[in-house]
Amino acid sequence: MNEKAEELNRVEKKDLFGSGHRACGGCGQALAARLVHDAAGENTIACVATGCLEVFSSPYPDPCWRIPFLHSLFENPAAVASGVEAAYKALKKGPVNIIAQAGDGSTADIGFQCISGMFERGHNVLYVCYDNEAYMNTGVQRSSFTPYGAWTSTTPMGNPTRKKNLPLIAADHGIPYVATATVDDFRDLQRKVKTALSIEGPKYIHILVPCPLGWGHPGELTVKICRLAKDTGLFPIFEIIDGKVTNVKKIPVKVPVEEYLKPQGRFRFLFKKGVPTEKVAEIQEIANQNIERFNL
Amino acid sequence: MEKLPLGLALDLRKVVPYKTGSWRTLMPVNMMQTPPCTQSCPAGNDIRGFLRVLAEKQDYEEAWHVLTRTNPLPATCGRVCPHPCEAGCNRRDFDTPLAINCSERAVGDYGLEYNLKHKKLISKRKEKVAVVGSGPAGLSCAFHLTKRGFQVKIFEANSEPGGWMRYGIPSYRLPNYILKQEIEKILELGIEIECNVKVGVNIPMDHLTQHYNAVFLGIGAQMGASIKIPGEDAQNVFSGVEFLKLINSGQIVEIGKDVVVIGGGNTAMDCARVAKRLGANVSVFYRRTRVEMPAITAEIDEALEERIMFRYHTNPLKIITDEDRVVGLLCEQMELKESDASGRARPVPIGDSESTYPADTVIMATGQAVDYDGIEIRKQNDQWISTNENLMTSIDGVFAGGDAVLGLETVAVAIGQGLRAASAIEDYIEGNLESQLSPPPVIYSKDLNTYYYTHEKQFSKKAVSIHTRLKNFREIYPSFDRQEIIKEAERCFSCGLCFYCGNCYMYCPDNAVKISPSTGKYDFDLDFCKGCGLCAIECPCHYIQMTLER
Repeated sequence: MNEKAEELNRVEKKDLFGSGHRACGGCGQALAARLVHDAAGENTIACVATGCLEVFSSPYPDPCWRIPFLHSLFENPAAVASGVEAAYKALKKGPVNIIAQAGDGSTADIGFQCISGMFERGHNVLYVCYDNEAYMNTGVQRSSFTPYGAWTSTTPMGNPTRKKNLPLIAADHGIPYVATATVDDFRDLQRKVKTALSIEGPKYIHILVPCPLGWGHPGELTVKICRLAKDTGLFPIFEIIDGKVTNVKKIPVKVPVEEYLKPQGRFRFLFKKGVPTEKVAEIQEIANQNIERFNL
Repeated sequence: MEKLPLGLALDLRKVVPYKTGSWRTLMPVNMMQTPPCTQSCPAGNDIRGFLRVLAEKQDYEEAWHVLTRTNPLPATCGRVCPHPCEAGCNRRDFDTPLAINCSERAVGDYGLEYNLKHKKLISKRKEKVAVVGSGPAGLSCAFHLTKRGFQVKIFEANSEPGGWMRYGIPSYRLPNYILKQEIEKILELGIEIECNVKVGVNIPMDHLTQHYNAVFLGIGAQMGASIKIPGEDAQNVFSGVEFLKLINSGQIVEIGKDVVVIGGGNTAMDCARVAKRLGANVSVFYRRTRVEMPAITAEIDEALEERIMFRYHTNPLKIITDEDRVVGLLCEQMELKESDASGRARPVPIGDSESTYPADTVIMATGQAVDYDGIEIRKQNDQWISTNENLMTSIDGVFAGGDAVLGLETVAVAIGQGLRAASAIEDYIEGNLESQLSPPPVIYSKDLNTYYYTHEKQFSKKAVSIHTRLKNFREIYPSFDRQEIIKEAERCFSCGLCFYCGNCYMYCPDNAVKISPSTGKYDFDLDFCKGCGLCAIECPCHYIQMTLER
C-alpha cells in the first residue's frame, strides 16, 4: 500500500510533450499538457481537439509530441477517443491509456454532447479539460467557462453569466472519478492523473490553465495566478470518487478576490482608479459560496 | 530521395524541434548572490555555505573546513559572538532566524573533538611578517598570512596566547581548553610564537620594522580607564580589566561580601558574573538605563537571571574608605536628557539625591584604553590607533586592527579585521594596488518567494540551572545534539544559492530547464527558452534572475 502511495506521489518528468512548441511564453496549457502526459507515461494515446494545444504543438514537420497523437475536430475528441478505445477492444490489444483532451470551449460548449455520450456509454477514457476560461485560440471569445465579470472580445462589458460547473455535471453522470487541479501544484496534478488512469471507466479531470495573452497578465505570473485562484476560493480543488466529494484542498490563508483580479487585464475595468466596483463584491460572493459549498 | 508512402507519415524519431529560443527578449541566468547573514557577519563567514553542507551532506568535517576558510576560531566565536548574522537572517521575516551561532559552535566543537587540521600550503614565500599580540585580530591575521605563504612570527606580552579571549572572557563563557586547542591548530600551520615579550618594552618597535617586511599590531585595549573619583586608590578597588586578568590567570582575589561593579559594558557584565560566582552579592551601578548599556543583550539577560542587582541612573561620587579599605560608595541619582554625540541619552545629576551603599570591593569597568608603552604612532582622538582604509598606520608597513583601532568591539570584528589586514599586507608586500573583489548583491526578504518554505521551530540552547552554574566556573551551555543542529541547518533558506528544489525544472512550460549531465545542476536550454520568467518568479531563493538577452 505504501509503495502504491509513493508511486502516486512521485513527480514524473519524461518530456513526452517536448520542447519546441509555439505556445506563448508562460503558457499554462503547455505546462499542464506536459505534466499530464509525463504522469501518464509512454503507453498513451492523445486525442486532442482543435484548439490552442493542437495548433501550437502539432504543425508539420516538427510536432513536439513523443507519443501517438490524434487530432480531432472541435466538437468530437470524446467521440474519437471512444472509437479508439472500442478499436483496441475489438483488436484485443492493450491495455493503453487513452486521454481525450480539449480546451474549455470544446468541452463546455461545442463538444459537450460527445462527452456526455462518452461518460454515459462508459468508455475507459480519461477526459482532460484545459480550462483557460475563453476561446483563446480564435481570439478570446466568451465560452460557458468564462467567469462572471471577465472581459472577452464578445463580452466587452464583462461576462454577465456565471461559470458552468462541469466537474459536478460530469460527476452526475455517475462516472467513477472526477477531479479538479491547477498547474501550480504539479505533485497534486500528476497524482490525480495517475489515480484516474488506474481506474476503469470514464474519468474527468478539470485543470485551470492561465492564459497570459487572454487573461492579460505577464507570463511569469502563471503559477502565482493559479495559486491565487485556489486561495481566494474561486477555483475549488477536490476529487469526486464514486459520487462523493473528497480530498477537498483546504485554503491555508484566505485571500480576498481583489488580489486575484488585480494582476489580470481582463478584470482591470472592475477597478476604477484602483477602487473596486460593486462587481468585485459579487465575485467575492461567488468565492464565498464556493468556500461554503465545498468547505474549503 | 526517400520515397514517401501514400499519405503523410512522419517518423517522430527524426523530428528536429523548432527552436523557440529566438523569441526571447529576456533570458534567465543562475546567479549566486550574497546572503544577508554573510553580509552582516563582521568576519565574513560563509554561513550559508556551511549550513548547506550540514543540511545536504550531514558532513560536519566539510562544514568545519568551509567555516575555517575565513574564521580560524569557530568554537570560540560560537560561544562568545553576539551573532549579528542572526539579526540579518531573512528567516526573521518568516518565522524566527536560524540559530547560526549554535550551529557554528557545534561545527567548531566537532573540529576539536575529531582534531581536524587546517589545510597547509605547499609553497612558502620568503617574506616575513611580525604580528604583535595574539588576540583574535592577531591570530586571524597570522592565520590568513600563513595561508598566503608568508612566514609569520607572533609576539605576545602575556605568558599564554589568546589576548583578551584568554585573559578577559571568563571560562563559564569560553572554557580555556577550547581556546587553547583552537589556537594550537592555528599555530600548527607553522606560525612561530614568542610569549612574555612586550613590544616597545622588551623589544623595540624599530627592531620589528627593520627585520620584517611588514608588522601587524593587534594589541587590543587592555588598560583599564577608571573614572576619577576620590578614594579610587584604596586597596579593594580594581579596574575591570585588572580584575578579570587576575581571575583568569588563576589567582585568588578576596572580594568580601558586597561587590559593586561600575559600568554597563561587556567587561562590567563579566566582572559582575565572576564576582557572583565567587560568592558575593553583586550590584551593577550604571549612569543610564538598560537600553543604553553597550553590553551584549544576552549577557545582560544572563546577568539578571543570575540575580545580579542593577542600579540604573546611579553615578558614584566618592569611594568611602576606612584605613585604606573600601567600606562604601557615595552615589547620586541621575536623570536622562537629550542625546549626546554617541547617540545615547545624556545623564544629568538630580540635586540632593546623594545616598550611600555598602561595598567591600569596587570594580570599575568604566572603559578601556590601548597600552601605547614604547609604541610611537598617530592616534585618533588621542585614544585609538589611526589607520587608513587599508588598515595601515602612520608608520609605513605597520598595519593595525582589532580593539586597538576600533575601540571595544567583538571577537568576530577583530577576526574580520585580521583577514582584511592580511590581504592588505599581501598587497603591500607585493606592491599591488588594493585588490578587493566587489561581492555580489545582497538578497533581502522581498526578493524571496517564501511560499515554498515551511514554518519550523527554531533550535534553542538550554542553559544549566542557575543554582548549578553559580557554584563554579564551568560553561553554562552544555554541548548541543548534532542531529538537532542538522535539523536547524535544514531551515536555512539558502538565499541566493540553488538548493535543488526543482521548481524551475518542473514549471518550465517549454522544458527548457535541463539537468546538466556534467555537473548534475539545473541548466537552461537557451535553444528553447522563451524568456517568460516563470522560473525566476517561482525560484524560492532568487538564484534565478532575468537579465537582458546577450
